[in-house]
Amino acid sequence: MQKLRRLLPLAALGVLVLVVAAGCGGGGNKSSTSGGASTTGKTGGTVTILDSAGSVDSLDPGYWYYQTDYEELGQTTQRWLYSWKPDGTTPTPDIAQGLPQVSDGGKTLTIKIKSGIKYSAPLANRTVKAADIKYALERCFLPQVGNGYALAYYSDITGAKDVASGKASEVSGITAPDDTTLVIKLDKPVGVLATGAALGLPCTAPVPKDYAAKYDKGKTSTYGEHQVFTGPYMIEGAGSGTVPSSGYQPAKSITLVRNPSWDKSTDFKPAYFDKIIIKNGSDVSVAARQVLAGQSLMSGDSAVPPPAILKEGLTTKKSQFQISPSGGIRYIALNTTVKPLDNANFRKAIVAVTDRDALRQTRGGTAVGSVANHFIPPDMPGFNEAGGNAGPGFDFYQNPKGDLALAQSYLKKAGYSTGKYTGPALLMVADNQSPAKETAEAFQQQLAQIGIKVNLREVPHATMIGKFCGTPKQKVAICPNLGWGKDFFDAQSMVDPIFNGKNIVQSGNVNTAQATYPKFNAAMDKAEELTDPTQRAQAWGQIDKDVTGQAYYVVWLWDNEVNYTSTNVKGVQNSFNGQAWDLTFSSLK
Amino acid sequence: MTSTIDLARESTAEVEVGGIEARSPLELFWRRLREDRVAMVSLGFIVFLVLVAVCAPLIIKLVGARPPNAQSTKYLDSFGTPTGPSSKNIMGVDQLGRDVFSRVLYGARVSLEVAIVATAISVLIGVVLGMFAGFYRGAVDTVISRAIDVLLAFPILLLALGLAAACSLGNGCLHGLIKPGLGVVIFVIAFVNWTYIARIIRGQVLSLREKEFIEAARSLGASNSRIIFREILPNLVAPIIVYSTLIIPQNILFEAALSYLGVGVQPPNASWGAMLADATPIFDSAWWYMVFPGAALLLTVLAFNLLGDGLQDALNPKSGRNA
Repeated sequence: MQKLRRLLPLAALGVLVLVVAAGCGGGGNKSSTSGGASTTGKTGGTVTILDSAGSVDSLDPGYWYYQTDYEELGQTTQRWLYSWKPDGTTPTPDIAQGLPQVSDGGKTLTIKIKSGIKYSAPLANRTVKAADIKYALERCFLPQVGNGYALAYYSDITGAKDVASGKASEVSGITAPDDTTLVIKLDKPVGVLATGAALGLPCTAPVPKDYAAKYDKGKTSTYGEHQVFTGPYMIEGAGSGTVPSSGYQPAKSITLVRNPSWDKSTDFKPAYFDKIIIKNGSDVSVAARQVLAGQSLMSGDSAVPPPAILKEGLTTKKSQFQISPSGGIRYIALNTTVKPLDNANFRKAIVAVTDRDALRQTRGGTAVGSVANHFIPPDMPGFNEAGGNAGPGFDFYQNPKGDLALAQSYLKKAGYSTGKYTGPALLMVADNQSPAKETAEAFQQQLAQIGIKVNLREVPHATMIGKFCGTPKQKVAICPNLGWGKDFFDAQSMVDPIFNGKNIVQSGNVNTAQATYPKFNAAMDKAEELTDPTQRAQAWGQIDKDVTGQAYYVVWLWDNEVNYTSTNVKGVQNSFNGQAWDLTFSSLK
Repeated sequence: MTSTIDLARESTAEVEVGGIEARSPLELFWRRLREDRVAMVSLGFIVFLVLVAVCAPLIIKLVGARPPNAQSTKYLDSFGTPTGPSSKNIMGVDQLGRDVFSRVLYGARVSLEVAIVATAISVLIGVVLGMFAGFYRGAVDTVISRAIDVLLAFPILLLALGLAAACSLGNGCLHGLIKPGLGVVIFVIAFVNWTYIARIIRGQVLSLREKEFIEAARSLGASNSRIIFREILPNLVAPIIVYSTLIIPQNILFEAALSYLGVGVQPPNASWGAMLADATPIFDSAWWYMVFPGAALLLTVLAFNLLGDGLQDALNPKSGRNA
């Protein structure tokens, strides 16, 4: 897929939009050769990543939010307060010494940070101080940085809302009493901060205020082009304080070399490669063939090759592929504000008639994932609590091939005595690119079985999200090409943005069904405050069951990520980042 | 019939050479066309195509193929890739398991529909405005000719894309007259294509209106509209037929291009252009999906072009290819 996160920063809601762009697809059985188990490798060598899109949108750590951002720059060039090991489901202290110490009933977090971590030139003699992380968090609220998740996870930090609204320049709740201590005070307990998960995002990559403040002025911050690096790699030639075009050409290439200031003994990342070259804008088919036939190449943002190459690859070059569940989900939104979709029985009839297996077939069959029957994907805490693979047990999700008789009985309950819909056609807005386009057309045909006619409009993916499905006033009834990826291993980042009524906004809306049910909203608000991981899983799992029972969305696929390399590359996937390659753990053979 | 004087005079040469009895212009035209084997084969193909398009549902039943919009995962392999020609699907299936053969047949209906409707509209507008411009000259001519210049400079493809985007919601534009689909395609083609024919007609009328038979009609007291429609128009039959036949393949291609870009025929309906677009990403594994609609499009356009050339030769032997 254009990996999960490649799309539009969706204002205010901080969760990765995974969407299913052109040519996306996820792949495979959980089987296949997962290199994740062993992470030892040979040091040295140069690797080249082939991207089909234009790679990162910004060099600014405060902006990074998408899968490619994390894979190509986030994990390689900067260290965060907490980072993620390839198969880790809980954050690993990176700049921090340990997990946050929680006191005051969950309202105070104290984090000790390691001393002696250095910046790259021109600040090569300077070490990372707690105050640098305070500033890094504060600048994520600045409009010129354009961060996509700060409001969702950090707005309950005392004083954060004042900075977001421009009333204050510093967040009063974040303090640095000494160089190695960071204290965060909260208005109310926030589960995802207490566990450290939401601090394992690039907003916590240190930014020295005295150096960066001058670049953070103006309409768009230029700190990205002048940044100092803490990670194992830096952009080639950036040592003078400005990123030169030899190191970064927007939408063409990025070259990463070792960061001389990085001290291996303080970091858990092995960083085997000497040099990483990222090339953008390759044709997906061409890139896939090059990677599979060539040397020292890895797949980039368009992880799933076209079906023909996937088929050929999995039959003859299986050892070069790695396929694992990405923690993303695909679903079809049924807009509850459009008649007759306001009727729960009508929506259940639609879920019942959906042949989810046939929809999966449009993306590449069993290789791309497993058929979903509730929202929280496998491997995510809350998955088992919501029913696991078997699902919560609703009859309308029972048959993955669809159940026409059941759909008709739900339609009768909804007031259509013949078991067929007889009203006017419903507006459906879909992607105009394969394979998402085929998914929409297959769904259109399935709806026709119960008499539902749709006006199908096919537009580019960004238009579908930006202009239609994310804009309530367009009254789009059905959006078949939506998807969502996790921000980290916590079900809140999956469920809350999509189902909580408080998240409905007039543009950039991701609660596409405009689901709002007071009892569920209250349950979600309560679950956000839980700090105990077991309780959180329990609470979010129960919410998942409840909302699934209302059929706001037709969930149909728990995605796989399909990655592949040349024969001489040992790729390692990172499960936090939706199973994209972790370039700090991959190596040459 | 005063109106055919011109044609008749052109053909006198041949009649004298033959030295036999006089023939009507229509007979002469038909005799010349019949000798053009390429044109006759093309004509035969077009007649065949029309029959196939009209009888598509019947043919599909006879052959035992599935209806064009019937999907089935039965004909896809475990990777969701389509299977090729077989006894069940003689031209293979597409990504949704639909039968390519029946979709190609139904695609012919779309192509011919566009060809006939859009061409008829543009010819109608073009002929009427072209005659007015040529006959009245002066201000009328200036207005129409400048309008033609403007339209010829119009980026027609962008116009179509813009229109389709603007009219994609609700009931479309102009009370549902224009919405993505054949409406936009026909509107855009008619909107721009009349200009070519109008220019040609204008030129012809400019010279015709000075001819003696027009003067004669006028001296007999004929009104302007009578002169335009009863005296001049019949003399324009030859160029109208020739240019219409040459515009048809252009229009078929244009419909295919628009459908390829997603603003023509809307899914799930079949169109050759849309099929080619869907086939592009998988052409290396499903050649049949691109080859059959592509061949249908190629042959159809070729047939209309060759027939157009043949008609031109037959109606206008002095200016034909072989002249």
